[in-house]
Order: sequence, then C-alpha cells, then structure tokens
Amino acid sequence: MGGLVQKVKLFGEYIPWFQSMRDKGAIAFDELGLPTPKTEAWKYTKLRDLNTDDLVIEPSNFLAEMRVAAEEACGCHHEDGGCGCHHHHGEGCCCGHHHEEGECHCHEEGHVCECQQKLHVPFEAYVIHFEKGKMIPPFPDFPRGVEVMNLMEAVLTEDAKEYLGKVVDIKLHPFAALNNAYMEEGIYLCVHKNVKVDKPIVLINHTKSGEENIFFNIRNLVVLEQGAEAEFVEWYNYTGAVKSRYFANVVNEIVLGKNAKLSHYKLQDEAFKANHIALSVVKQKADSNYHNFCLQRGANIGRNEVKVLLNDENASAEVDAAYIMSGWATLDTTTDILHLSPRTYSSQLVKGVVGGEAKGVFQGKIHIAQDAVQTEGNQLHRALLLSDTAEIDVKPELEIFADDVKCSHGAASGELDENQLFYMQSRGIGREEAKQILIDAYLNEALDKVKNPEIRAWLSDYAHAPQE
Amino acid sequence: MNSQKPEIIDESGDKYKYGFVTDIAADSAPKGLNEDIIRFISQKKGEPDWLLEFRLKAYEFWKTMKEPTWAKLNYDKIDYQDLSYYSAPKQKVTPKSLDEVDPELLQTYEKLGIPLKEQEVLAGVVAVDAVFDSVSVATTYRQKLAEQGIIFCSISEAVKEHPDLVKQYLGSVVPYTDNFFACLNSAVFTDGSFVYIPKGIRCPMELSTYFRINAKNTGQFERTLIVADDESYVSYLEGCTAPQRDENQLHAAIVEIVVNKNAEVKYSTVQNWYPGDKDGKGGVYNFVTKRAACRGENSKVSWTQVETGSAVTWKYPSCVLQGDNSSGEFYSVAITNNHQQADTGTKMIHIGKNTTSKIISKGISAGFSNQTYRGLVRVAPKADNARNYSQCDSLLIGSHCGSHTVPYVENRNKTAKLEHEATTSKISDEQLFYCEQRGIGEEEAVSLIVNGFCKEVMQHLPMEFAIEAAKLINISLEGSVG
Repeated sequence: MGGLVQKVKLFGEYIPWFQSMRDKGAIAFDELGLPTPKTEAWKYTKLRDLNTDDLVIEPSNFLAEMRVAAEEACGCHHEDGGCGCHHHHGEGCCCGHHHEEGECHCHEEGHVCECQQKLHVPFEAYVIHFEKGKMIPPFPDFPRGVEVMNLMEAVLTEDAKEYLGKVVDIKLHPFAALNNAYMEEGIYLCVHKNVKVDKPIVLINHTKSGEENIFFNIRNLVVLEQGAEAEFVEWYNYTGAVKSRYFANVVNEIVLGKNAKLSHYKLQDEAFKANHIALSVVKQKADSNYHNFCLQRGANIGRNEVKVLLNDENASAEVDAAYIMSGWATLDTTTDILHLSPRTYSSQLVKGVVGGEAKGVFQGKIHIAQDAVQTEGNQLHRALLLSDTAEIDVKPELEIFADDVKCSHGAASGELDENQLFYMQSRGIGREEAKQILIDAYLNEALDKVKNPEIRAWLSDYAHAPQE
Repeated sequence: MNSQKPEIIDESGDKYKYGFVTDIAADSAPKGLNEDIIRFISQKKGEPDWLLEFRLKAYEFWKTMKEPTWAKLNYDKIDYQDLSYYSAPKQKVTPKSLDEVDPELLQTYEKLGIPLKEQEVLAGVVAVDAVFDSVSVATTYRQKLAEQGIIFCSISEAVKEHPDLVKQYLGSVVPYTDNFFACLNSAVFTDGSFVYIPKGIRCPMELSTYFRINAKNTGQFERTLIVADDESYVSYLEGCTAPQRDENQLHAAIVEIVVNKNAEVKYSTVQNWYPGDKDGKGGVYNFVTKRAACRGENSKVSWTQVETGSAVTWKYPSCVLQGDNSSGEFYSVAITNNHQQADTGTKMIHIGKNTTSKIISKGISAGFSNQTYRGLVRVAPKADNARNYSQCDSLLIGSHCGSHTVPYVENRNKTAKLEHEATTSKISDEQLFYCEQRGIGEEEAVSLIVNGFCKEVMQHLPMEFAIEAAKLINISLEGSVG
C-alpha cells in the first residue's frame, strides 16, 4: 500500500492535541490495514482495483491559502496562465457538464473554458470551492451566526478542538483512520444557537486531470448548535481525461445540538476511473433531525457510508440515497443507524439502477440498544438491473436489543417490467425512451425525499442524464 | 468402559423433561483427537479403507482450519482435545432384531416417547432409526420398506451393505473442505441414517431418526445422507434430546440430501437438545451443516425446523437449486429463552433456470437470549427467472433479549425477482389485554399469540410432529412472562 502511506509535510505538526490525532490515525490504519473481502463491512466492495501504488499526495497548501485569502485575490489562479487542462481529440468536452451533441461552447472564441471558471450551482447558495482536495479562497460572505473556516484555522483557534476526531471512531473505519493521518484540508462549519441559514452552504470539490494520480483527504466538521438549521451540500466533480485515476477520501463529522436540523445532500460525480470513499458520522442530541441524501453516479469504486448516532430522545434521522451506474463501477451505499435512546426514529430509502458490468452494493444496519424502547426504524432498498452482467449485493441488517420497538426492512431487486415497456411502446414511445422514462420514475421516488425543490431539480438533472 | 450416574439434580425449575441419564455400560474412546482416534473409530465400525482415507484427509484439512467467529455467538472456547469422539452402549453382539436390544435402551426411548416396538406404533406411520451417542441402536420397519426397494438403515450399515451408493454420494453435497465443523464431522462422524428412495417410489411412511446424547464429555457427530432418485418422494423427521449436564456437550452434524429429477424431499426437525439451565450453565453446542442439492429438473426440497433447544445453535439448512425449475423452501421457528443463543438461517443458491425459493423464518426471543437470522440468497448469472421470497419476523419477549436479522442478497441476473422483508416487534399490549379480559391468563395468552405467530411454519410439519412442537414451544417459553 505504498501509495496510501506517505511522508508529507503538513501544517500544524507543532500543535500537540492535533498532531496526536494524526499519529493515532496513522497507527490505527497501520493496525487495521486495507479491508479485504474477509472484512465484513467491506464484503462486497473489493478494493483490488484501488491501485494505490502510483498515488501522489500533494504537500500542504494551507499557508498559501491563508495568504491568498488575506490578499483577497480574485480566486482564479492558474500558474501557467493557461487553462491547464488538455483537450484530447475524441475524448469530448471536458468541462464536466453534459451537453447535447454540438452544444458545447467552451472552445469557441471569446469563451472562457469552463474548467477555468468556477463551477456554480443553479440555485442561490454560499459556495466554497475546493480543487483536488485543496481549498480555493476566498470564502463567501456568510450571515451573522454562521462561522465557516478552513479546518486548520479552526484548529489554530481551537474552535474545532471540542469535536474534531471525537465523532468518528477510527478503530472501526480504516479509511477514516487514514483520513486522520492526513488531516488538514476541509472546512469547519458552525451554525450558532437558533440561527437558521437562509441559503444552502455548498462545498464543491473540483478535480481536473493532471499528469499524476493524486490522493487527497478532506475532513469537514459541521456543528449545529441548539435550534440551528442549515442545508449542507457536497458536490464532487471532475473534468479532464476520463483515464484519471485519483483517490478521494472524505470524512465528515457532524454534531447536531438539541432541536437542530440539518439537511445534508451530496452529489458524487467523480471520474470513471477514480475512487471515492466517504464516511459521514453524525451525533444527534434530543429532538434534532438529520436528513441525508446522496446521489452517486461516478467513480470506479464509490462508497458513501453514513453512520448516525441517535444519542438522545426524540432524535430522528432520514438517510436516503440513489445510485445510477454502468461500466465496471462498484457503488456502495452503507448505512449504520444506532438508536441509543428511547423514542428515536429513523427511515431509509435507497434506490439504485445498475447497468453494464457494474455492481451495486447496499449494506444497511439498524441497531437498537437495550432500553431504547418505543423506537422506530424502517429501511427499504430497491434496485433495478439493466443488463445481464450487472450485479447487486444487498445486506440489510437489524440488530435489536429492546423489545418495545417497531422495526422493518425490505429489499427487492428485479428488471424493468416488460408490460410497462410494452404499454408505452404500444403508444408510440420508442423502447429506449420508454426505458428511460421508467428509470427516471424509479429514481424519482428516492429523489422526492429531497425537500428543497431547487436542490431536488439540480440532483434530478444528474440522476436522469444518460450515462456515457 | 465407564458407567454413568446422573450428576446434577434439577433444581432450576426448568421443564426439560428429557434431562435424565440412562445408566448403561458404554464403550468409549479415550479423550482427544488425533489420527489414532480416527483409525480407532474406523476400526470399531469395521469400515473399508476408502472411508478411513476420507476421514484422514478431512482431519488433515481440519488441522489447517480456524474455528469461525463471524456468528453472533458468545461461548467458551471448545477444547477439541478434551472430548471423547466415540461412545457406544455396550452390546455383546450386534442385535439382529429388536428383542436382542438392551432393554435399558428400549426403556430410554420409551421414556422419550419414541416407540421402537413396531406393533406399538400407530399402524405403520413412522419408521424410526434410533441413534444413541455414537451408534444407531435400532431401525424399525426395515423389512417393510425394503419390499419397495427403499433403503433405510444406519450409515454404518449402509457403508457395508451399499458401499457404491454411499461412496457415490457421501461428501458430494457437503465436501469435507466446506467449513470447520463439517470438516471435523467428516473426520470423526460415527453414525447417522442413510435413506435411498429408488426411482418412482413414494415412501409410504414417514422416516424418522431420533438422536440422543447420553454419555458425558462426548461429542455427537452424526451424518445423515438422503438420496431421492427420479420421481420419488420422502418425508423425513429428525428429533433430538440430551441429558441435563453441567458441562457443555458438542454436537456437530452433517445432513446431505440429493434430490434427482422430479423428486421431492421434505425434511423436518424438532431440535430439543438440552438448552442449559436458567443461568446459562450447561447445554448442548449445536453446530450443524445441512444442505440439499436439487440436482434434477423440477426437484423440490423443503426444510422445516423447530428449534427450541441447545445453548448455542449454529445452523443454516441450505438448498442448492441446480436443476431447472427446482424449488427450495425453508420454514423455521426458533425459540430462545434464558441464556440461549441461536444463529440460524438458510442459504438458497439459484443456479438453474426458473428456480424458486421461499424462506419463512419466525424467531422468538425471551429472557436473556439472543437470536440471529442469517440468510443468503444468491442468484447465479445463468439462473434466469429465479424467484425468491423471504420473510423473517421476530418477536421479543422481555427487555433483555436480542433479535437480529442479517440477510445477504446477491443477484447477478436481471430477470431474477427477489424480495426480502423483515419485521421485529413485541407482543402488543392490546392483544394481551384482549385475551386477559376474556379470562385467559397472561402465560396462556402469550402462548396463544406465539402459536399464532408460528402457525405459518407449523402447518408444514407432519401431524405427529406439529403437536409435539406446539407443546415444546409452550414449555420453552414458560417463566418468560411477568
């Protein structure tokens, strides 16, 4: 695993409480090692394609970021002045958007190549830009009561000290341990007591292909104080040659205070040969509500794991997801909902569409601790297989130690209904189009869980775009 | 040689009525497991060389294996060298008829409610093979069955009398490399039943094996092999009990079933090994590998199990659906009370086209017990139109027990339709109140509700078994309410 464990100069080595977390992470990863097919939590997601040997970790960028932030520079930095990305013949447009044929304008005269521009989302938002796992200053102006910093800044000011590294248990998650070892980039987001953020906060990580296959770690810490409300969106995006084989390792630590409410959305749209492994761990206090929706459509190995600890009474969580895939990809959705107190509620809906030679994985677990009575936990996973070579592996798990509970899970998989296709064909809709309509409708059930209509529309566009 | 006396007096108030010990002289192998012991067993049973070789190969392989730890079970490490791998009631000569069987043994089975005297049985409904510790002591109705060409005897006899059949099928469904406990069994198995149903024959009566562990510090390793040839049918029952002892007894069995074209096998188990006392002391460790191979077209296998006993249960009756249009069914009721632990479920491997499988699992946990349903449904790339329906329901009684569900679903064929559902709940207060209001006591009400909860499975049991099983369920749950 030469590529994953490297010596890199990172900022903050002189801060003992922080550096010790990095050290512990390195030790824990060394002990745990990469998961093998025998590792139960990784039973179906085989990591042999991870190919970590030639991964490169870029050195610390923190001081440079700080300087730029201080200068309030324009935010458009291309050292060589050019666009930096190479357009090869036959590889199509690299700008990351999905155009109808012939509609791409980014090479016309007078038009700035889109990969030189910053990406934007089609809705009002506070946008924070990352490139290849490194923050691109400056931050947008946040309203009063919302504190956003570079993670290292929050380490320096000790704002992050209370929760950083204390939500996720690195002994259980090898990639989180690895993330600890390289902890530097990421954001610290804190919403103060009773503050309701007016617009979604969006983190865009944009990766452009380069010569090297880079490995980057992002660690975000999100704290919502009592009664606070926010929407947090993560978008992992890619432009450049399809061949690029980078590795993104993301860990989010989320703490919700009493009565706080967080909607957490994610779009994973990485390069088809890239690997993306993410873990979000959420700790919830009484009466808080957490909603997570993740759409995965890119990456070679893509794993989105969400672990929710419902620590106090009346906390509730909804963890929904959708995935759509083709090619040789493995997309893994793993959830672990721990009901640790009485009267806690959770629901999950995951829907997937698997084509090509791809493999969809769903592992969902509901754990109910002893005494966590009068809890309710529901889970449903449904998958659609489009091709003869597609595969779907499902492991929904219930672990219940209390008697007065209501728990259920369901899992189903199958192909498109011939009768429905026939019905539409008999009304003059072509077979391919009819298929697309059915797939869209299939995914819509999960997408409907996204409460913000603008974000839903944005995600729907990606969910419904035919895959290349 | 050692004769045994009852060692503990039952003061726990448990209602395990099969907890007595038969005082009978026994031939036992010394403790420990090594090549010599395997040779000793093989020699004792007068086995041919090929079987000894099979055992030794298994033993060599077993030495390289590690005991699995993935099950949600928590038990003291088993010292495989501290067990005796062979124990047989001493008999001067091999009995030719029931009259020659030791009366003490006959009495034991009478006490257990297993009539071995043919005339006493309800006119020919059940034929019984009685296995006591490591040997089969009697098989009834052999003559009558033989008239139709059905072979029903102990596996040791089958090795001698029908070596070709045994050689052809032994280990063909569960190879000795399969898992730790199956491998151990392959090395040291002592007895069990062998059934062969020839082409086109419907077995006229239920066949049954009754297993009893008696001797102290022995493991029971039985091996059952059932072969149903084309267009045949058999219904097979299995029951088991053991005396109440302070230490844990080991039971590691293998059941192999081969089902050919258009044949059907129904296998029912009522497992009632000693579950240990109220504080979880003693009880049988039950590690069983059961597997059926549906080799022919339209073949059918159905597993029905009622699991009430054992301190630890590790058991996954499986169906390998190789033949086109073959079908597998699994109906299970598992009840755990006090400190019992059960990790049980099934595997349905769809290989042939149009194969169907159905899983109905009902789990009831009470007291401090823990129960896990662990199942696998796998659809191979060529299993077009495979169909599976799984339903796992759990009922929890009391706030200290646990119930877990771990189904694995692996689908590699787009035309397959797979459904899985699971629910967990407790007995609702409304239901209890309704019963109590009508003058039904709390315990009786619980048993009424539990029986209703299990009904879907119970109706798949043969009649004689269903009555016994319903009684067992009530006994198992006694003391779990209030």
